[in-house]
Amino acid sequence: MGAVTADRLRKTVLVVLGLAWLAPVYLMIVNAAKTNDQYGVLSVWSPAGLGGLWENAVAAWTRGDLSAGMASTGLYAVAAPAIAVVVGAAAGFAIVALRLRHGFAWFVVIFASTVFPMQMLLMPLFLGYVETGLYDTRTGMILVYTVISVPFAAFVMRNFFAGVAHQVFEAAVMDGASTWRIFWRIYLPMAGPALVAIFILQATLIWNDLLLGLTLTQSAETRPVMTALSALQSTYGGSTMPTVLAGGLIVSVPTVVLFLLAQRAFTRGLALGQY
Amino acid sequence: MTATVAPPRRPTSATRPARRPRPTYRWSARGFALPAVLVVALLLYLPFVWTSYLSLTEYNGLGDPELVGLAKYSEMLTDAGFLNSLLNTVYWVVGTLVLPVGLGLLVAVLAYGLKGSFWYRLPFLLPYAISGVAVGVIWTFVLQTGGALDEALALLGVTDPPRWLLDAPLNTFVMIGAATWQGAGVNALLFTIGLQSIPREPLEAARLDGASGWTMFRTMTWPMLTPLTTVVVGLSIVGSLKQFDIIWAMTKGGPGVSSETLALTMYKETFVNNDYGLGAAVAVFLTVVTVAASVLYLRRQLSGAKEL
Repeated sequence: MGAVTADRLRKTVLVVLGLAWLAPVYLMIVNAAKTNDQYGVLSVWSPAGLGGLWENAVAAWTRGDLSAGMASTGLYAVAAPAIAVVVGAAAGFAIVALRLRHGFAWFVVIFASTVFPMQMLLMPLFLGYVETGLYDTRTGMILVYTVISVPFAAFVMRNFFAGVAHQVFEAAVMDGASTWRIFWRIYLPMAGPALVAIFILQATLIWNDLLLGLTLTQSAETRPVMTALSALQSTYGGSTMPTVLAGGLIVSVPTVVLFLLAQRAFTRGLALGQY
Repeated sequence: MTATVAPPRRPTSATRPARRPRPTYRWSARGFALPAVLVVALLLYLPFVWTSYLSLTEYNGLGDPELVGLAKYSEMLTDAGFLNSLLNTVYWVVGTLVLPVGLGLLVAVLAYGLKGSFWYRLPFLLPYAISGVAVGVIWTFVLQTGGALDEALALLGVTDPPRWLLDAPLNTFVMIGAATWQGAGVNALLFTIGLQSIPREPLEAARLDGASGWTMFRTMTWPMLTPLTTVVVGLSIVGSLKQFDIIWAMTKGGPGVSSETLALTMYKETFVNNDYGLGAAVAVFLTVVTVAASVLYLRRQLSGAKEL
């Protein structure tokens, strides 16, 4: 009996808190869907159908330049983690399967770089990018996003390969396979789920980045989407708030959908990252 | 150059016990590790050294940096804006420890073991998938003067609500609230993973002995969660020190510099005021603090990795 009451209490607290948590999302959707006229008159808490949603989304997409930002970020968020997982897996393979000399020390060198705050890197990256012509280019953005994804990839992959029996490697050597072949044909395919988990986490991280975009890009063509949204927010706002909210909604949909679809991979990635 | 007498050799690999890898893989191991080491060295470690150097110079981004010793550090430490930024950063660290971590733990414990616990946790997890900028957009809308919160308060008869985003330190506190909204869910998820790894037998035994509710949590569950709590606390401290996006999207550190944190101050000194030396000094300061905080959980992560 006591347990039943306790469970009911727990559920009530969770539901009340959960509804409070959803309130800002409700406000965003309801007001992103209002026409400018409705927005001026109605309370922000009352819904007014979906009449203005399309119009606001189009305004954010075209006038707010989110279209270019989405295209660039789409490229960055796919290319950079894809390269990073392979580079990181190669490092993990070298350390574990090929028993790189001082492997653990190299592992620490690669992973420890994640503790620097981005602020420590911005200035030289900016100056160096201007110097080398990488500033405000898509190549430059893919490069920097790849690099910030490598340490985590190497961390997870080293730990993953450490769980693989070394006999697997030795048997492949017996069969006459080269290390190159063993890496691409045996180790990488075996690591599928871990690679996917890293990819999803890093893609989300890159999709949501503001700071690197702010520092290393300028033009609408190369600027990532969050930097574009931030600019949209500064230019619009006030009575055109629905446009900004629609923009916020558009850029959030991909990561929220990815998150819901790949919830297990997310959890696995988090768990892999923590231990 | 042409040695006539070969010096006595150390035992060759043929005579030594073969516990080291065969030398054939030495080069291939280096080859596989090289790309990762190279990019990390070039784009993470080299900039680190460069910023440290710039913090000892007077530099406006044009011409050549001029060495000035520790002048930029003393300028930084006596600057009112910096001290205010430091105080705000302390608010962020403490606030993040209390709110997102505490709420995350509460949600995890309340939902744990309930039927459909995933669905109870979902509303808290959803904001985690939303970017800092989008979180800032939403909460600006809620908190701006005459915004959603003010409107709700007016219904309750509060006609003169606080100026949420305009007065310090209130603006920092409400932004910590926004960060809590975003971050509590992931902490709940981590704590749930921790709860799931606790063996059931001792808990059952304690339950049979009559322990329940709060006593049970305090004496059994909480101590067993300690390793995980260390990680969550470490991650939260580091995360709050690095927080930039939400503040940038909500106040840009303003009005004036009132809601700046170290992460914002570094950016603005460098890229808005073109004072690279001062920006670099702030970056170094922030890095020292962050690294110190990271040691807390990194040590655990790396020692965990070494056991594998």
